[in-house]
Amino acid sequence: MHLSNLKLHFKLAARNVRRQPNRTIALGGAVAFSALVMTLISGFVSGMDTAIQDNVTLYSGGHILISGYTPSWSGRLQNRFVDDEIATIVGSAVTDIRTVSPLAQARATVVFGTREIQLTLRGIDWTKDELYHDSLLLSSGDWKALNEHDRSMLMSSQTADRFGLAIGDQVVVRLTTASGQQNVTDYTVSAIYDDAASGVMTTAFVSFEDLIADLNMKPNEQQQIAIFLKDSTNAEHAAKAIATALAEKGYSIASGSEQATQRRMNSGKAVYSISTVQELAGEIGSALGSIRWIGYAVFILMLLVSATGIANSYQMVLLERTKEIGMLRCIGFKKKDVFASFISEGILLAGAAAIAGILCALPIGLGISFIPFDPHGDFGAALVKGHLRFIPTLGQLLIILVFIMIVAVVAVFLPARKAAEVVPVEALRITA
Amino acid sequence: MLRLYEKKTKYFPSKSIRDISLVILGLVLVVCAQAQGSPPPGGPKGGGGPMAGIGLPLGFLEEDKDYKFPDDITKYTAKDFLMLVRRTDIRSSFYNSDMSATITTVNVSPTRGTFVTKEQIFRRDKDDAFLMLTLEPESRKGQGMLRVNNNMWRYDPTSRKFTHTTLKDTYENTTVTNNDFRRWQRSIDYSVEKLSTGTLGNYKVIIGELRANNDEVPFPYIKMYVEADRKIVLKVEEYSLSMKLLRTAYYTQYVQIGDSFVPTVQIFQDGLVPEKRSQVTYTNISTKPLPDYYFTKEYLERVSQ
Repeated sequence: MHLSNLKLHFKLAARNVRRQPNRTIALGGAVAFSALVMTLISGFVSGMDTAIQDNVTLYSGGHILISGYTPSWSGRLQNRFVDDEIATIVGSAVTDIRTVSPLAQARATVVFGTREIQLTLRGIDWTKDELYHDSLLLSSGDWKALNEHDRSMLMSSQTADRFGLAIGDQVVVRLTTASGQQNVTDYTVSAIYDDAASGVMTTAFVSFEDLIADLNMKPNEQQQIAIFLKDSTNAEHAAKAIATALAEKGYSIASGSEQATQRRMNSGKAVYSISTVQELAGEIGSALGSIRWIGYAVFILMLLVSATGIANSYQMVLLERTKEIGMLRCIGFKKKDVFASFISEGILLAGAAAIAGILCALPIGLGISFIPFDPHGDFGAALVKGHLRFIPTLGQLLIILVFIMIVAVVAVFLPARKAAEVVPVEALRITA
Repeated sequence: MLRLYEKKTKYFPSKSIRDISLVILGLVLVVCAQAQGSPPPGGPKGGGGPMAGIGLPLGFLEEDKDYKFPDDITKYTAKDFLMLVRRTDIRSSFYNSDMSATITTVNVSPTRGTFVTKEQIFRRDKDDAFLMLTLEPESRKGQGMLRVNNNMWRYDPTSRKFTHTTLKDTYENTTVTNNDFRRWQRSIDYSVEKLSTGTLGNYKVIIGELRANNDEVPFPYIKMYVEADRKIVLKVEEYSLSMKLLRTAYYTQYVQIGDSFVPTVQIFQDGLVPEKRSQVTYTNISTKPLPDYYFTKEYLERVSQ
């Protein structure tokens, strides 16, 4: 087909689209609505994905975690290791690292008066930390107090509210040491963070040195190494590079499932496992899968409704334009020209409507992202500071546009073929 | 014969090479033996090795039978007290038979109020194995716990999944731990640090302060109140690594079944939240032999349906 022909077909299609504005608005509106709904769904699902990854980074302490397990005298694997070389190897294997810091954590029971709650207690080297300083919003207290005071705790506002705790209150913490013994210690609440702003995280934070002592570990021991990258999307690639570099140096690296099954080991060698924020987010984000599928179902339903509407409309258009088609054929229009003009009209209408729908979705999505939601609900982990994130990508928008245009072509195909098959003389006789 | 001799000479052409091979083999054995080494720091004291499993120290049951305890409780030495603890361990357990019973637990918690659970337990103390099935409440009926070969699992019939658990874990977030359903073996896990005498109610007791033999025993320190006359434990205080009282166990009622003295009423009081406590009562105790398949995951799965 020549370019001039194509231009002619689209010119004709544009004229036809303008001829009956009411029908065009109704049909285009239906298609635009489909595009709008799909843009909103895909944008919010992307936003939830990113929010979950960000929140999981906060939950886990870094984009990549290296956990070390050392066999005890009885052969039981204990989450502890002594190795200063790993940080150096990590530094040489990955270049875009923001921080590498030791991490310790324990499941603890915090007791205040007659109330008790189980939560994760994480030991942070406050002098090296950037992640929590940048991400957590303190609702009371300050970072300085956490750095300067001994045995101070940073607690979530949810836990503090539940206990009626305020800055300066002392809580009793019961935990199990690295070897499995019971231990009880005291901490003073020095700061409270806004958990709604961090995906409703209930983790309490203390200094790394204090928690190591509570876990009955030596000062040079650690449980995990947290790596915070400059770009979180590189986590999987960086983790593979670290695993390769450690394996080359003779470290024993186990996958997550291997580690879970190896509860006892008779060889005296430490075992390490590497996990990334994407892996952890994948587990938590599996709930998003259902949202995605609902989104796809809605999209397909919308496309079917649009396709039916387009097909019916063009069936009517065919009846209305039979005489016109006959005349066009008489003055030299070929079958394929008639066919192409119908298809062009469908593409033009659906394409324009889809672009309009996508453009309308952008301000609506941004508007919804300003509405506060309950961060303690089922999808608290998918919220950022109690708000949904709307992050549509260019790729997603193009896919929506292309799909709608393909559906339009399929829907117009039969009426277009019927139009092309119209016999000119017969058409003029019938409609005369 | 000639052919055989020829073969031998092929592999051992001379006596000197054979001698060298034997020397090398000897050296390898010595190196291997040294590589085993002594227990690392934090490991069990003495040469007994870890005793947390089904294995008991050599002569654990036999030495107890002929041991002569002092008549005067003030004359007890550390060894006497440890043997007394061993006697209570043995007598509260069933090494010559299996045991089954119904356990009713009344729990009081400041946050959850009062709630009752009922379980059926099947124990085989010689193998340090037990199977426990929840009978009440209705919402948890069919849940189970199995300990066998040093491994322990919880089973949830709804998800049909086994999850690993440990002896030190608390049972349903109460003051009862999984370890409380197992045979007693304090004389294996602990050494005597200090002894004194006193009274507990109307009973004269020997008070022993014990320290865990290794760093994998959940409670690093315990204080035992043992009535020397009847040789039964009346009270045990369990302390954390920082020497804070975590829990007090009271054994208020015993029943004699054969050679065993079973503490049928046990009260556990939380040390950190005093309002939190549990009373465990054993009823319908039977020492009839149990089939081996009772202590398998397959049986737990089947019986939970």
